[in-house]
Amino acid sequence: MNGAVDLSIFSMIMSGVLLAIPLIVLWYLRTGIIKNLLISTVRMAAQLVLIGFFLEYLFRLNNWLANIGWFIVMICIAVISVVKNSGLKLNHFAKPLLLAFLFSNFFVVIYFNAFISNLDFIFEAKYMIAIGGMILGNSLRANVVGLGDFYKSLRKDEQTYFYKLSLGATKYEALLPFAKKSFMAAINPTIATMATMGIVSLPGMMTGQILGGSVPLVAIKYQIAIMIAILTSTALSIGLSILFTVRSSFHKNGVLKKNIFAGK
Amino acid sequence: MFQFENITKKFSEQFVLENFSFTVSKGDKVIISGKSGIGKTTLFRLLLGFESVDSGAIYFNEQKLDEQTVWDLRRRVAYVSQDLNIGRGKVRLFLQDTLLLKANLHLKNTSETTIKEFFNQFCLNESILEKDIEELSGGEKQRVAIINSLLLQRDIFFLDEITSALDISLKKTVMDYFFQNPNYTVLSVSHDNYLPQDIEVKTINLEKV
Repeated sequence: MNGAVDLSIFSMIMSGVLLAIPLIVLWYLRTGIIKNLLISTVRMAAQLVLIGFFLEYLFRLNNWLANIGWFIVMICIAVISVVKNSGLKLNHFAKPLLLAFLFSNFFVVIYFNAFISNLDFIFEAKYMIAIGGMILGNSLRANVVGLGDFYKSLRKDEQTYFYKLSLGATKYEALLPFAKKSFMAAINPTIATMATMGIVSLPGMMTGQILGGSVPLVAIKYQIAIMIAILTSTALSIGLSILFTVRSSFHKNGVLKKNIFAGK
Repeated sequence: MFQFENITKKFSEQFVLENFSFTVSKGDKVIISGKSGIGKTTLFRLLLGFESVDSGAIYFNEQKLDEQTVWDLRRRVAYVSQDLNIGRGKVRLFLQDTLLLKANLHLKNTSETTIKEFFNQFCLNESILEKDIEELSGGEKQRVAIINSLLLQRDIFFLDEITSALDISLKKTVMDYFFQNPNYTVLSVSHDNYLPQDIEVKTINLEKV
């Protein structure tokens, strides 16, 4: 592998010039989001530069403890992001979600590294951080949809849930229809993406590998494996998140605690 | 069977139930009345443990209702809610799901004939079994919910305005069915004036307690 062509300072300036087009359109439409766009661009650049230096260091060090440690940091940030974006209270959900995410993401990454990539060193930085990041990013998206939907529909359709309890259902029996619906909402986008993959979009991982010098036939093998890994970790994490958070989110009489939602 | 002992509960902004005591014995027929918004439904929610009293206690068969014992009550009472969001999907599956709950497993062999007899009793066409709940009219949903409660073969009923979408002759059929069975203990919220004849009825008027 030769790796992708490095981008010179000139190249980076040229990509900045490209930004002028959306800026002109936004200025013309007087949308008032120019400031946001500029801030986002600067933030993105600064974050990526820092993470670039950090990853370069981490990859060179390639110490299993450091790799695992960084992956745990990534998981923590993902969990915080899930809770914040689904309108739930952090101090209530952090612990059970962290457990669900640690288990599902570690399991899939280690499995991938050990049995699919067939690595001798299963905590190899490149694989652990890159594959782990892709899996984690998708768990995050799925859980924002799924977990948020689960608790919001429970609050909205409380009557239906109560009705089921009044028929003699246990808490879990009464929650099952809600869990099913939220699970589907979380996992359907991944299934839809899989069905159009390669035709509608060339996935990021394949693009990266092809630019990095892999032949397309190697890239697609990885892509197939990673999609299945993503589907698995998505299903596992949303299932476990619901299961683990349900234990502490209800009063003993089966009524949903009202203080688990983040206030305005 | 039920005993309300010095219950205090703030129902709504305007209305507070204060030091309310009442006893319901086996076989009693109780009508709960009072203008809309006063908290008639809340009374059922208190009994079913979906809300709790501010002070006082409710007893069910001499046992104080709390976070634990309320689960037992939910397995012994049949509740027909005023809210018609009873579930989704085909009516047949909806009725089946109820009988497949762990608490109701002893009823899982309820025959098709039993179900159809109830449908005839309450003038529902059998073809409704194959329809989606969402397709049904209010009155049809109401009767499906009533049948669902009867299939549980329990003998205590909490009925929350269960005839509001029914015409007068159906109202009569439904009310007579519950009120004329001496084995049934019935607590019923109703805005309707119809009351089965020759039946002794206790009344809780929330405006006067």
